Amino acid sequence: MNNENIIEIRELKKSFENGTIKALDGINLEIKRGEYVSIIGPSGSGKSTLLNMIGALDRANEGEIKVAGYDLSKMRDLNRFRSQEIGFIFQLHNLIPNITVLENVEIPMYEINYSSKEMRKRAMELLEYVELLDKMKRKPTALSGGERQRVAIARALANNPSIILADEPTGSLDSRTGQMILQRLKSLHEKENVTLIMVTHDMNVASMAERTIEVLDGKIVQN
Amino acid sequence: MSFLSLVVKNPFRNKTRTALAVMGIAIGIATIVALGIITDGLKSSTEETLKAGGSDFMVVESNVSDMMFSSIDEERLSDLKNTSGIQDVVGVLLAVYPINNNPYFAVMGINADKLSVGEISLIEGRGFSENKDEIIIGKAASQKTGKKVEDTLEISGKKFKITGIYETGDLQQDGGVFMSLDELQELEKKDDKLTMIFAKIDKDADLEDVTDRIDNTYTNELMTVKSLEDLGKVESGLKTINTASWAISLLAIIIGGIGVVNTMIMSVYERTREIGVLKAVGWTNRRILAMILGESLVLTLVAAVVGIAMGLVAVQLLIPLGLEGFIEPVYKMETFLKAIGIALFVGLIGGFYPAYRASRLAPTEALRYE
Ligand SMILES: Nc1ncnc2c1ncn2[C@@H]1O[C@H](COP(=O)(O)OP(=O)(O)O)[C@@H](O)[C@H]1O
Ligand SMILES: [Mg+2]
Repeated sequence: MNNENIIEIRELKKSFENGTIKALDGINLEIKRGEYVSIIGPSGSGKSTLLNMIGALDRANEGEIKVAGYDLSKMRDLNRFRSQEIGFIFQLHNLIPNITVLENVEIPMYEINYSSKEMRKRAMELLEYVELLDKMKRKPTALSGGERQRVAIARALANNPSIILADEPTGSLDSRTGQMILQRLKSLHEKENVTLIMVTHDMNVASMAERTIEVLDGKIVQN
Repeated sequence: MSFLSLVVKNPFRNKTRTALAVMGIAIGIATIVALGIITDGLKSSTEETLKAGGSDFMVVESNVSDMMFSSIDEERLSDLKNTSGIQDVVGVLLAVYPINNNPYFAVMGINADKLSVGEISLIEGRGFSENKDEIIIGKAASQKTGKKVEDTLEISGKKFKITGIYETGDLQQDGGVFMSLDELQELEKKDDKLTMIFAKIDKDADLEDVTDRIDNTYTNELMTVKSLEDLGKVESGLKTINTASWAISLLAIIIGGIGVVNTMIMSVYERTREIGVLKAVGWTNRRILAMILGESLVLTLVAAVVGIAMGLVAVQLLIPLGLEGFIEPVYKMETFLKAIGIALFVGLIGGFYPAYRASRLAPTEALRYE
């Protein structure tokens, strides 16, 4: 495996409410391509904010952040970066309820110039990968929590991202289903060599990763 | 699935809200359509009267608010006939009487020998003779009253014998009767008066020249009417309907627009988190804007279809309520295109603000929204 850094963060700061809330207070972090890292810390410590910075959902106030070769603080068009390099998985309510499972997986592909046929083919491959091909015509509301998260994994993989960002992906699942989802993410990381960064406040969940980073009050306290 | 089908599906997620918004806009569209059909009907029946008997123009008293109040001295008939460029003239006195259950039964007075000039063709019987208490009845009027040739019809207390049935194709004429001009003048106590004069010009004469000459010679007395636009000066009724129709359209745009803004803002608000997710998977602001604006257009397009259907039904229901015999609905493509155009316009302006707001949502904040 190569030793190239896919993420480099220097003195990154992010505050909210006119600087009164320091969500990130000088983060320094390097993550290598193909690593499986978990970010742990109590609620409100800044984990989601850090993940959102890596995924270019928001801009920092200060510091440097380079992801997959892009200098995010200097880039204007973050949408393209997101759609090509990042796959997000969230805790809950993240599928569109009125369209089918298959159509949900196709959603990120609109930004790539796929034909309808190619989109469908790719989405079906991904659903086969998460073993939900038989339920592709269902609406997300007809699926169990674990199945919905598997759809979310398929959708995150839609555009072949180099990094998967998961924010408490098992947070709303029972522990057995949660374990199954974690196994799936782990095998994805192992087989596809995709960089996986997972936010959690659960020690057991975090322990599955190769490396654990602990965040407290917007600072990394253990790396 | 194509982006377009997603846009078409989305408005039907909240069926009740969409149905309410569609109804709100559809009522406005229906009003526009129904008014358009009736106004066009009114215009076309007025136009038919104007060109009655293949005449080139009509002369009425100047500065009257309604054609019905026009009064011209009969001697002007020969004056006009002698004007250069005029081939022939027909003088008509128009009166309305309540007959059977029709309060506006048209009775037209014309010289018996001018019937052929007026292109009033008989389909049964013969024409009336002067001063013999005879009349001819229009086909529609005959059907409505059940009166046939040889029957008598009482007008203003006087009995008239029907000698023939005619058909001209003009709704107002076919719904009334013709009698001798002298007899109607007597009945109406309007000796030597006419309501209007229909004129035909010589083949080589210029219509503008002829009408200008008449307008200049008889300023403040007579006025020529060549088209509906000229008639607008006389027919304030038609003008009122036109103004009302525009006012209602404007009202429909405003009310419909507010409905769309409201519906789409609610929809965007409810889907805040979803919009955050869409941004997280890489959707551009432009695509989000296009989606919400597209949904708004779908909403108003559905409303246009529903509204047009409602408008057509409304016309069918309205005609029997007193418009029969006066107005035949005229269905013009323009009416429907105008309705669809207004609906799309409402969709665009009403959808723009919610769409802009959605596209501008900060993804991190949208994702924090529960
Ligand atoms: N968009 C925002 N507006 C205001 N405050 C925010 C926003 N995002 C995060 N915060 C605040 O920043 C701090 C860190 O939040 P977050 O990164 O979500 O923590 P965690 O994911 O570790 O629970 C919290 O105090 C939170 O309230
Ligand atoms: Mg969080």
